[in-house]
Amino acid sequence: MFKRKRSAEDFAEEIKAHLELEADDLRGEGLSEEESQRRARVEFGSQVAAQESFHRRGRWQALDNLARDLRFSLRSLLKSPGFAFTAILTVALGVGANTAVFSVMNAVLLKSLPVADPQTLVYLRTSDQPRGTGTVDTNETMSYPVYDTLRKQTSAFSSLIAYVPLSGSKVAVRVGSQPEEAEGDMVSGAFFSGLGVNLPLGRGFTAEDEANHAPLSVISYNYWTRRFARSPGVLGQTLFVNGVPTTIIGVSAQGFEGLEPGGSTDFWIPLQNRRELNAWGNPLDDGKLYIENPKWWCLRLIARLAPGVSKTQAIAQLQAVFRSASRIGLGSPMQGEKPLTLSFTDAKNFPGYDQMYGNPLRILMAMVGLVLLIALANVAMLLAARNAARQREFSVRQALGAGRGELFRQLLTESLILVTAGGALAWAFAMMAARLLANWAQIESSLAPDRTVLLFTMGVLVVAAVLFGLAPMRVALAGRAELAIRTSAATSNTNAGKSRTGKIIVALQMAMCVVLLVGAGLLIRTLRNLENTPLGMRVDGLVVFGVNPDIPSLAAGRTFYRDLISKLRILPGVESVTVMEERLGSGWSDNSAMMVDGRLPDVPNGGDRTVRSNVAGPDFFTTLGIPVLEGRDFADSDTVNSPPVGIINEEFAKRFLAGQNPLGHHIGTDDGRYTMTVIGVVKDHKYRSIDETPIPMAWYMSAQIPMVGPMSVEMRVKGAPLAILPTAQKVVQQLDPNLPLIKPMTQRDQFNTTISSQLMFARLAEFFGLLAVVLVATGLYGTLSYRVNRRTAEIGVRMAMGAGRGQVVWMILRDSLTLTAIGIVAGIPLAMFVGRALMSSLYGVKPLDSVTYMLAVVGVTLVALLASAVPASRAASVDPLRALRTD
Amino acid sequence: MPTQENNDERIALLQGTLDILILKTLILGPCHGQGVARSIQRQSEEVLFVDHGSLYLALQRLEDKKLIQAKWGTSENNRKARFYSLTAKGRAELLEKTSQWKRLTRAMDLILDPAADLQGEEA
Repeated sequence: MFKRKRSAEDFAEEIKAHLELEADDLRGEGLSEEESQRRARVEFGSQVAAQESFHRRGRWQALDNLARDLRFSLRSLLKSPGFAFTAILTVALGVGANTAVFSVMNAVLLKSLPVADPQTLVYLRTSDQPRGTGTVDTNETMSYPVYDTLRKQTSAFSSLIAYVPLSGSKVAVRVGSQPEEAEGDMVSGAFFSGLGVNLPLGRGFTAEDEANHAPLSVISYNYWTRRFARSPGVLGQTLFVNGVPTTIIGVSAQGFEGLEPGGSTDFWIPLQNRRELNAWGNPLDDGKLYIENPKWWCLRLIARLAPGVSKTQAIAQLQAVFRSASRIGLGSPMQGEKPLTLSFTDAKNFPGYDQMYGNPLRILMAMVGLVLLIALANVAMLLAARNAARQREFSVRQALGAGRGELFRQLLTESLILVTAGGALAWAFAMMAARLLANWAQIESSLAPDRTVLLFTMGVLVVAAVLFGLAPMRVALAGRAELAIRTSAATSNTNAGKSRTGKIIVALQMAMCVVLLVGAGLLIRTLRNLENTPLGMRVDGLVVFGVNPDIPSLAAGRTFYRDLISKLRILPGVESVTVMEERLGSGWSDNSAMMVDGRLPDVPNGGDRTVRSNVAGPDFFTTLGIPVLEGRDFADSDTVNSPPVGIINEEFAKRFLAGQNPLGHHIGTDDGRYTMTVIGVVKDHKYRSIDETPIPMAWYMSAQIPMVGPMSVEMRVKGAPLAILPTAQKVVQQLDPNLPLIKPMTQRDQFNTTISSQLMFARLAEFFGLLAVVLVATGLYGTLSYRVNRRTAEIGVRMAMGAGRGQVVWMILRDSLTLTAIGIVAGIPLAMFVGRALMSSLYGVKPLDSVTYMLAVVGVTLVALLASAVPASRAASVDPLRALRTD
Repeated sequence: MPTQENNDERIALLQGTLDILILKTLILGPCHGQGVARSIQRQSEEVLFVDHGSLYLALQRLEDKKLIQAKWGTSENNRKARFYSLTAKGRAELLEKTSQWKRLTRAMDLILDPAADLQGEEA
């Protein structure tokens, strides 16, 4: 009642009148004028206090009630701290886990690109590449001539945007004197305007900037924050990219982290035409940049459909143009080569995430959903048990005149307190968990919970609050006033219907627990399998980092790497050093066909002719600890002046040189322009990732091939591998002060990045499985001990009638074992269903892995026994006399 | 008997009883706050002491509950004062509360002084 009927002035007036009347009366009794007034005031007491309480009363009555409810509820919760603690923690864990997973899912799968009208954006896809061209991604990247042709077709698109990273990982940048690494893309002039990305500071690029290859850059909001502390003075500063100065002209909108799948772009520059800034950081191919090279399909394209043009219409308009553009500079198609097909995919979400994390996240969400169900059921049961025990309190209060409304308000207040405390804890918990998740999954974009996540959490909490308030209501109100007098422990506590509900809930929890344990078991075994997969090399003691030097000429490049290797070799603690073009365990590989003895090898039954190749330096296999089976490793003595040499793996020899001594054979590129002699055969080992099967491989010697670009340096050191990095950094900077170490890490970590999603998945599953077990245990324990308490009198009677303690214990255990059995029977088919859904995420373990199922069943049974042990022993220690006398 | 204050014959009112007393006073006709206080003190032979702060709060509470109503008027000695009077609802409440109170005091007496013949302890 916030409305006030009377003003404070009116009340003050009344008090004044009171004092006058009182003084009049006192005067009438014969007191003096002064004395009467004094006495009147003394009798009244503090006028101020009276006015104050009047004031408060009118305005704060509702709040006052709330405060009273809160105080009362807090007091009654504090009286059972164990209950309050369990309930709050359960809510926090259940809701927190859901919030964390949902915030990742929201950031990764649900959030739209922070651009204008994401619905009208499409990625351009091609069915394939023309034969004889190089590519980055078979379906997603195209050549510059294709881009150049398509952008002249203005009717289908309102803008067409090309973008391409400056490197497969990070590039060298510098703002002051200290070299750093950052992720950067080259983009067409329409990048910001066409996507509709706001720039809170400065401006984006224009078509002229692209045409002039202007040395400008726009940095991301994140990078601005991280590197420049959001200083507005950043505009006009010089950002050196691979040593090339660019002027920072803008900062992109908060939340926009570029279009690179799974990555977070730090800066963008207009499409360039200089050697230092070739697409993907590649060295020139045949002296050609990406712009001049129709054989290198390296650009990603995104377009905004013109208003009113559907995807189908746009494709119809562009298909023929695309096909002819795809032949530019390539001559006529080879025999049997099919024409390419252009297609679109929606670009409204972040690119690439769905493939990488879609399934794992959806399954995780389902898992935490189960955990939440278990948690909410637990708290509801706890509350129901607690309120049933308070039935007499409620009855008494009803008898004393408390309305149902008041009781309801108070129960709701209690559940609100639990839910609020639990919710606050859950939010803190989710913040931490989301950060951990991002680390494990190596998701670089921001996972910070946003408004959607907050709404989600609030929604869950509101449901919980109402559920917790309502569930026990039935119990509380069931007892009417008279019950207070009639009730006694022996007669009142047999409410068959309610305990059946409780049993069903516990059995369901058991079933869910089985499902979670089986899921977790399968994923953990997958992780163990992955972690224990032999890599085929001695990976401990290896550290790897990238360098991207400015290479004005082939000779200068070769000198740079020779100097670098020899300077690093002599550092204390370093056993050996080598270089490689593709970093092992990075997920990248260079795939092509290779000539064997002057021709493309015959493969029986149309098998695969693909060879994975890499460029390696001296001592490559020695450094990595990969056994050389025949011949020798690359050596310093293999130079540009000695005959070109190559090394192959077992699989290559088996497939293309079966039954022959591989040494001395000649292998080379599929265009026949580079040929080398096989000087060694090495044992098959993991190359691109941990979960791959062997594939034919060949290595070129880095000092001999007519191409030098960025490389990764691999060092085998004594002691902690990362400790060498500062010294290595100094060595690198002696050679070129512009160079940072790019993505330095141990080789083990590098390989682990290829199982990061499984890693995250398994760790989380493990955690949620454990959580489920703990929750189910507390739930079962709570339910059982509640039932034992209520049956104290009954147990007393039984014991008085001669039941042994063993029989009593068995009675309690039988109860929980029956529930467990039902739970297991219901849970196993569900678990099989989940196992099937997990299939694609498993490695080296079958969805029906019997060991996992056995362990889950044993686990649940153990939990049930443990949870029943305490209540059972309490039942056994019931003193029949005391039990009967109680009440 | 309720506890007494040490050297004072006056007793602070039991919580919740003030409302009945006010209603009872007002059944005789409209009265202002000061009059109500005086009347309670006088009728209880100065045993009951009315804290004026609580009195006005109680008056306000009763008014909010529509058990009494108030309007400004003039007292017999020509002073402006706010006069309270019972509503129909107030009358009904008074009847109910009075009978409740009688049952309570009777029960209390039976326990505290079972030997004595009902010495009606009217408040």
